[in-house]
Amino acid sequence: MEVRFQVIVLGGGPAGLNAAKYAANAGYEVGLIDAGSRLGGQYWRHTGCEEFDQSVHHNFDQGSLLMDAVLANPRITVHSETNIWSASIINDEVVIRTNNGAFITQRLILATGAYDRSLPFPGWDIPGVMTPGAAQSLLKGHGVLVGKRIVVAGTGPFLLPVATGLSSHGASVVGLLEASGKYSWAKNSLELLRNPAKALEGVGYLLALRTKKVETRYRQAIIAAHAGANGSLESVTIANLDSEWKIRSTYKLSCDVAAVGWGFTADTAIASSLGLALDVDASGSVSVVVDENQRARQSNEAIAIYAAGELTGIGGSDLALVEGAIAGLAIAGSTQDLKTLKKRRKKLRSFAQALTKVYPVASGWKSWLSADTTICRCEEISYSDINEAREEFDASDARTIKLLTRCGMGLCQGRICGRTIADLMNSTPQERINSASRPILSPITLGEVAQEGLL
Amino acid sequence: MITFTFEGEPISVEPGTSVAAALLSHGERITRLTRINSAPRSIFCGIGVCFDCLVEVDGEPNQRSCITTVKEGMVVKVQHGS
Repeated sequence: MEVRFQVIVLGGGPAGLNAAKYAANAGYEVGLIDAGSRLGGQYWRHTGCEEFDQSVHHNFDQGSLLMDAVLANPRITVHSETNIWSASIINDEVVIRTNNGAFITQRLILATGAYDRSLPFPGWDIPGVMTPGAAQSLLKGHGVLVGKRIVVAGTGPFLLPVATGLSSHGASVVGLLEASGKYSWAKNSLELLRNPAKALEGVGYLLALRTKKVETRYRQAIIAAHAGANGSLESVTIANLDSEWKIRSTYKLSCDVAAVGWGFTADTAIASSLGLALDVDASGSVSVVVDENQRARQSNEAIAIYAAGELTGIGGSDLALVEGAIAGLAIAGSTQDLKTLKKRRKKLRSFAQALTKVYPVASGWKSWLSADTTICRCEEISYSDINEAREEFDASDARTIKLLTRCGMGLCQGRICGRTIADLMNSTPQERINSASRPILSPITLGEVAQEGLL
Repeated sequence: MITFTFEGEPISVEPGTSVAAALLSHGERITRLTRINSAPRSIFCGIGVCFDCLVEVDGEPNQRSCITTVKEGMVVKVQHGS
């Protein structure tokens, strides 16, 4: 099957939904392609039931209006449960190959979002250790509590809504650990004052957690997880950290789930496949370079590719919505004045930049690793395997480590360990950009390739 | 409600539930044993990125339980090896 659209939007989260809506309202036929079974992305993940729960769905009213508007728009065709396995430019057209056939366009908007950033530590591969996003998606998408005694840990503002959602649904959040310092906001208080709604949202979570007697413990982190006789998580070792995240002292806590996350990594795989210009920020985070109108840089002038949301720099749903709107209007050549939208984008971006300063990942996490700590979960490569390649074969860069150990060559294609390896090998920005490239975007069988007539 | 089996045991859930959500809500955590160390694995990223929650569905290996929706009569098994 081959389908052509005037505009194709990849991703059905806040950025993609708004991009599709605005491009369609400007008169274009839009195809919206999404991997999920329901629109909303990770932020507005929902069960599909009429009743929803405000305690886990922030701004769901807004989301549900937007999703309804997109579904009701006769100019938008939604293709759900559609997994992309390749994206390329052929004869001045973008060709997107998926499990539901090929989609072709000359105007593409990428809104592929982000996923939790993970750091390795001893035992992080034990069942029961997961990302905060996993705990959140099971709660929001299915109403399932992932455990009874849960430790939420890592760094960043996302830990608060996750801990709040879990505790308000009956889980006992036995620890909420923020590795950054308690007063890290003080240095960026101006940004907080400029964004009172964000500040209030944070205060709201803290108050809700207080009623459940959950207090944030600052400068603490899970540095090891331990399995019980059944192979599942039984307890974690928690460390008090110094400002570089080196261990000062430790204690143990029993729990059945540890939800651990360190901010987000943008999903730049499709952007990289299409040859878009990418950038790396001080934290090692790769993003798509865009101009004033969210247009990405690439060499084929017959094609217009735009990007919006987390892909252009981690910034949250409000920023994603604004960027989606700008991208949708701009790709449609709308004459509508974008000044107000751009002003709002500027304010939200500077807030996002302040956040990355408040919640930096300090290098001390490397001191938590032991020789047998798994680094690559797919290929079961340990820290000692990597050190061996370094010492015995003089491997000095991430690519050589990958070739020698198979680190990052498993099914997830380095999405989980890629950034870690880059950090361990002190990769240059260009090496980080190169490692984001994946010619095959998700595993497919040869049968599926043959069906497309490509064999 | 729709019913599927996991390791031969029937499990009933609401339509639209993912295999991962169905297993976790019935106390089943381990979805696969790894290829090299036979180590147990479970849901990790929850959104289809990490490929850790793989199961065998109707004889087809490498299915991500977190993004696979349960269907009536589906036969789900722990995946051995990757």
